[in-house]
Amino acid sequence: MPRAPFPELSSSVRLKYVKLGYQYLVNNFVAFLLIPVMIAVSLVLVRRGPDEIMALWHSLQLDLTQVLFSVFLFVFVAAVYFVSRPRPVYLVDYACFKPPTTCRVPFATFMEHAWLINWDEKSVQFQTRILERSGLGEETCLPPANHYIPPIPTMEASRAEAQLVIFSAIDDLLKKTGLRPKNIDILVVNCSLFSPTPSLSAMIINKYELRSNIRSFNLSGMGCSAGLISIDLARDLLQVHPSSNALVISTEIITPNLYTGNQRSMLLPNCLFRMGAAAILLSNRRRDARRAKYRLLHLVRTHKGADDRAYRCVYQEEDAEGHTGISLSKDLMVIAGKALKSNITTIGPLVLPMSEQLLFFLTLVGRKLINHKWKPYIPDFKMAFEHFCIHAGGRAVIDELQNNLQLTAEHVEASRMTLHRFGNTSSSSLWYELSYIESKGRMRRGHRVWQIGFGSGFKCNSAVWKCLRTVETLVDGPWTDCINRYPVDIPDVVKL
Amino acid sequence: MELLWMIATVLFLYSSLSFLWKAFDCRRNQNCYLLDYVCYKPSDDRKLSTELCSDVIKRNKRLSMPDYKFLLKVVVNSGISEETYGPRSIIEGREESPTLDDCDDEVDDCMYSTLDKLFHRTGISPGDVDVLVVNISMFAPAPSLTSTIVNRYKMREDVKTFNLSGMGCSASPIAIDLVNNVFETRKRTLAVVITSESIAPNWYCGTDKSMMLGNCLFRSGGCSFMLTNDPSLKHRAKMRLKCLVRAHSGANDDAYSCAMQKEDTDGRVGFHLSKSLPKVAVRAFTENLQTLAPKVLPVGELALYVIRGLRHRLRRSKETKAYAGKAVRVNFKSGVEHFCLHTGGAAVIDAVGSALGLNKYDVEPARMTLHRWGNTSASSLWYVLGYMEAKKRLRRKDRVLMLSFGAGFKCNSCLWEVLRDLEDGGAWEDCIQAYPPQSLVNPFMNKFGWVSEA
Repeated sequence: MPRAPFPELSSSVRLKYVKLGYQYLVNNFVAFLLIPVMIAVSLVLVRRGPDEIMALWHSLQLDLTQVLFSVFLFVFVAAVYFVSRPRPVYLVDYACFKPPTTCRVPFATFMEHAWLINWDEKSVQFQTRILERSGLGEETCLPPANHYIPPIPTMEASRAEAQLVIFSAIDDLLKKTGLRPKNIDILVVNCSLFSPTPSLSAMIINKYELRSNIRSFNLSGMGCSAGLISIDLARDLLQVHPSSNALVISTEIITPNLYTGNQRSMLLPNCLFRMGAAAILLSNRRRDARRAKYRLLHLVRTHKGADDRAYRCVYQEEDAEGHTGISLSKDLMVIAGKALKSNITTIGPLVLPMSEQLLFFLTLVGRKLINHKWKPYIPDFKMAFEHFCIHAGGRAVIDELQNNLQLTAEHVEASRMTLHRFGNTSSSSLWYELSYIESKGRMRRGHRVWQIGFGSGFKCNSAVWKCLRTVETLVDGPWTDCINRYPVDIPDVVKL
Repeated sequence: MELLWMIATVLFLYSSLSFLWKAFDCRRNQNCYLLDYVCYKPSDDRKLSTELCSDVIKRNKRLSMPDYKFLLKVVVNSGISEETYGPRSIIEGREESPTLDDCDDEVDDCMYSTLDKLFHRTGISPGDVDVLVVNISMFAPAPSLTSTIVNRYKMREDVKTFNLSGMGCSASPIAIDLVNNVFETRKRTLAVVITSESIAPNWYCGTDKSMMLGNCLFRSGGCSFMLTNDPSLKHRAKMRLKCLVRAHSGANDDAYSCAMQKEDTDGRVGFHLSKSLPKVAVRAFTENLQTLAPKVLPVGELALYVIRGLRHRLRRSKETKAYAGKAVRVNFKSGVEHFCLHTGGAAVIDAVGSALGLNKYDVEPARMTLHRWGNTSASSLWYVLGYMEAKKRLRRKDRVLMLSFGAGFKCNSCLWEVLRDLEDGGAWEDCIQAYPPQSLVNPFMNKFGWVSEA
């Protein structure tokens, strides 16, 4: 994606107002068209005179049948309209797992463990350099099994971590919403790197004694963007089943996935991935509209797997010594940029105001027909959204997107601070970021949020939510005890 | 005034017509058609004979003689023939330490060979696929298997992929349920589902008996099938989905832990099958049937069942000893012609068959599938269907019931209606003439029969 913004012209103040005026004109085009019509009608009426108007009114002989018929017609048309609309999907509430302080992994602990497990000087130095530049803070957490030397990557420990993170998040959610477990109709769980049999969805059904006719699905291996894939599936199910709710769980289980080898491309995930989980309650019941926080407007999925480089850029494999790990390729950022571009191409027309779309279209036509040297116009997404939740995959991802979408530091603050406080919690990171924005008291009714997730495959998925009620500063959430310390200034390099 | 009337009438007609059209259109797109399915047939060098099984078992030096005898007894009496298939890593002696490449190769071979055939037979290009679902319970690498398929077949960017995992042997109906739900939200959609199981990374090398059964019974297999809700493809479709019922008894602790992947006391991962499995299965099965029966059976049979039930209760209250323990049976054959039962094992097939009131002819496809292919987990239903089709049993308007059980504990079922006379040999083509065989007894009974005596 080209990095240079729209030509220097926009730096001129006068032209900035022209641009504003143009945007206002195009976006309210229909209203502007109606004005002359209304003026003409009122002129005609005024010319007629008040007596003539009264005479005209009395001459309308409306008998009962006609009135009734018109009313009936109006009601019928309104009913048809309402029935044929797709069912709205409301986000009633959500809860994020707050790791206990006993699971904290400050940099010193991480490096010491890396040294004691690996005994390889070069690997430890490499991981230290990564940590220095990672944008992570000292309060990120790893599961209890990873605190052992050597770590215990057993199935039992993995299940224990799953139970800890998932059940805590669900308990919080049940408390917040007052939902009874027996009333859950749909359950979708996504966890990429841990998939036991019976599934994590069966584990949840067992713990909370959910109904036997529940529609449960367990997605696995789908990467960091799987949270939005689960929302997509839940949305489709809610379109089909009236008056239902759906519980979506997004998590990543770290315990079985610690890489114990020395290949550099595989050491990165060790440094970045941390414990986390989110539980989200969706509903299509109209009565939930009153207490719901958000409504889902759009969800767009883009899969770049057809391109070999994109497919291989996040790849689980064995190194030369047989240790399994996830290798991240060097052109990850380029691929992420391309995936985002594809996703934007689909979501742009759905969310951008007419003014931006027209400008983009005109510039495109101009480049093709008039002069191909014109710089491509990058639509201003800040006009379509008030808040952005960019997957906290790593500092480089957030930098890249900030550049590509021309966002300010405040727009990406939620992502950077989530990366600092919680690390890369994979598919649940988007929810920690949303929680940050709410805790800062920035979420108001009518605001639109854009959640963008990237993940192995290579996929780029995005969801657009609209806030339905101003969210009061959270009483209980993962940011409760530390929100006042944020935002923090994260230096480019933290010397260790 | 007339103008007003005219406008009102036009508006009314337009809205009522568009409403009716929408309702009709919805109905048209609500059907889920099975266009075709292809069952996986591995190459012959992967056949697992009883002799080979015995060698593999002997390689595990931790086993004592009683363990060895127990395992061999299971294999010999399992109803599984010499023609079933296993993964290369086990045949080549790497069962205790399979590499990631071994696991990938096993799954890739199944997926690619069945998908190549499926696209070739249907004449549909991979670029036309809108929804892709893969369900393989015990292997979920990153990137997911759905991404691997998208990469291999260069599918579109907006393809909706879902990678289901951990959902056990009954995952086929779950995948169909997912696709069916997506179908109801979109028109003219094409979906491809791949269902299989991964054996290579899940070979148990310990000494816990409850975990060794899996080693004896699970075999390599898989199936790819194509579904659509496009009415214009109806004439090419084989079957239409009529209803689908899922029952999850995971709320009960026994049910949840009766089939579970976990570590044994020595820390080795295996698939534990507990002694309470039959009881749990019966409970889940009953629950499923309670919802399924009213949807599947004709009204007459349901009425008869109610009457028989009342009579039974009246008699039981008068003569407690004579009628105690005798349950009232429902005749499922009044609503279903063919039964695809999950080939969990000979005992499972017999138990389910007897509960549904089936005779030898009805359970033959399942028994023969167990014999020829072993327990291929979620894809077993499709091999059973393949047997029925190869035997030319599936005629137009016949109804086929697929019934499976899986870890969780789940019992899922779906009812299909056959749309035209089906005659493809499929994976059974080269051997269907030899079925049913004279005897299902293991040919090595002479050599290994001593295990049953001791």
